[in-house]
Amino acid sequence: MVGERFLENIGASAMSTAREIGGIGVLCGRVMRSLIPPSMDARELVRNMYKMGNMSLPIIVMTAFFTGGLMVIQSGIFVKRFNATGIVGWGTGYAVFREIGPILIALMFSGRVGANNTAELGTMTVTEQLDGLRALSINPIKYLIVPRVVSMVLCLFMLTVIGDLVAIGGGMLFSKLILDVEFSTFYWSLVQNIHIADLTHGLVKSAVFGAAIALTSCHFGISVRGGAVGVGRAVNAAVVAAAVSIMLLDFFLTYLTA
Amino acid sequence: MNFRPRIERIGSSVLDGVDASLDLWRVLTATLFGVFRGRRPKGEVVHQMYQVGNRSLLFVGVTLGFIGMVMIYQTCLQVNRITGDLSQVGGEFAKILVHDFGPTLTAMMLATRVGAGIAAEIGSMKVTEQIDALRMTGVAPIEYLIVPRFLACLSMTLVLAVFGACIAYAAGGLTAYASFGVNPRVFFNPSKIEYVDLILGVTKCVAYGMAIPIISGFCGLRARGSSEGVGWATTAAVIGSSFAVILLDVIISAMGFLFQTGGM
Repeated sequence: MVGERFLENIGASAMSTAREIGGIGVLCGRVMRSLIPPSMDARELVRNMYKMGNMSLPIIVMTAFFTGGLMVIQSGIFVKRFNATGIVGWGTGYAVFREIGPILIALMFSGRVGANNTAELGTMTVTEQLDGLRALSINPIKYLIVPRVVSMVLCLFMLTVIGDLVAIGGGMLFSKLILDVEFSTFYWSLVQNIHIADLTHGLVKSAVFGAAIALTSCHFGISVRGGAVGVGRAVNAAVVAAAVSIMLLDFFLTYLTA
Repeated sequence: MNFRPRIERIGSSVLDGVDASLDLWRVLTATLFGVFRGRRPKGEVVHQMYQVGNRSLLFVGVTLGFIGMVMIYQTCLQVNRITGDLSQVGGEFAKILVHDFGPTLTAMMLATRVGAGIAAEIGSMKVTEQIDALRMTGVAPIEYLIVPRFLACLSMTLVLAVFGACIAYAAGGLTAYASFGVNPRVFFNPSKIEYVDLILGVTKCVAYGMAIPIISGFCGLRARGSSEGVGWATTAAVIGSSFAVILLDVIISAMGFLFQTGGM
């Protein structure tokens, strides 16, 4: 029967979604519990922050630069038609600080760092290194997961600060090049119309996105089954889950903190 | 001071970059060539279209729906602060969805889902030596593996972008009605969309649909080692195709803008 199989498929995918969400929740609880007296491997934290923060700076900077430019190009038609050069800085700043900046930077971060993290933890899992740690009575959550989660939250937050600045710079440059808006016009339009709340709204989001990316990528990394094929599949599932959770959290945070 | 290792490192990364770009170019030309030669396994394109299209429907629907709601919410908030006239928001949103956000955000989502999927699949085949086995039996791996995915992505990006834009628009209209009391009849107003917007949107879809499978397939074919190599290839595919989407968006939007203002 076609209908029966259809129902079976729906049930199976609902079950597996519920299993993954539950796994992420349990992992979140464990990470929280080992953060209560904040004890973690400091060297591991610094190493992870270097790898996740410094190494992904170039791609984030390039993304942010073009994002700023993109916002200027999109508003270009209105600006040309109504000759409203005074609103370019405000429009770009509003869009970049509140939405586009945090979301695009988080998506790139999830692709660069989250996927990489899943691949690394997944490789460790399939080569039984996590069991090795357990055999040495080292808690893998404390030793491996907690430093990664903390450093992802911090790194994404700081990268978003840098990325916002670069995006504004890119917007300025593009608006000078294609719209012929002076730097000072752009700057004053930005400074006078943007409240500090717009900036903090985006930064709060980016910290939450960092936690979401970290938890999803670690969960899919440590629950890998079945060799190289499994690692590839886990990375795929992790980036998809991270993208969905970024969009969902963005929605709820916008409603809560607007 | 010893400069030699530093210079060597710069030189080797330059050489790697040149090597990778040549490889990427080779994959691109071989794929385009393979499209017209037409020696594909039967039913493979349809199968890939199912994989790329149908299985991304839920993902694209959920993400684009939420982003549509958020965008309308933020825009209405800001418009309320300045003028308070919310009647234009729907029309402008339709325009920007058609010429930019619909295709680009859908493609960003596909770059993570489909790009990672292609790279993981082809990368796993590479490290388990299935690609070499294909070559040994006289089958060109690019023609057999990448061309069907290329055709599937090319068609499905357009379909999913239309689907995603509709979902985002409907979700935005709902938000505007629920949170700001904008009448749906005022919101659903396609009169601002011009032919230029449609042309720009379709051009973007085609460009993204070509870039994502080529870059991801290329990353998959370059996988080395075992499970670690597959992980690296998947990461590189996600980054490469997402960045390609943003870059192509900037290029095509700038060209469209210059064309529009030059013609005005």
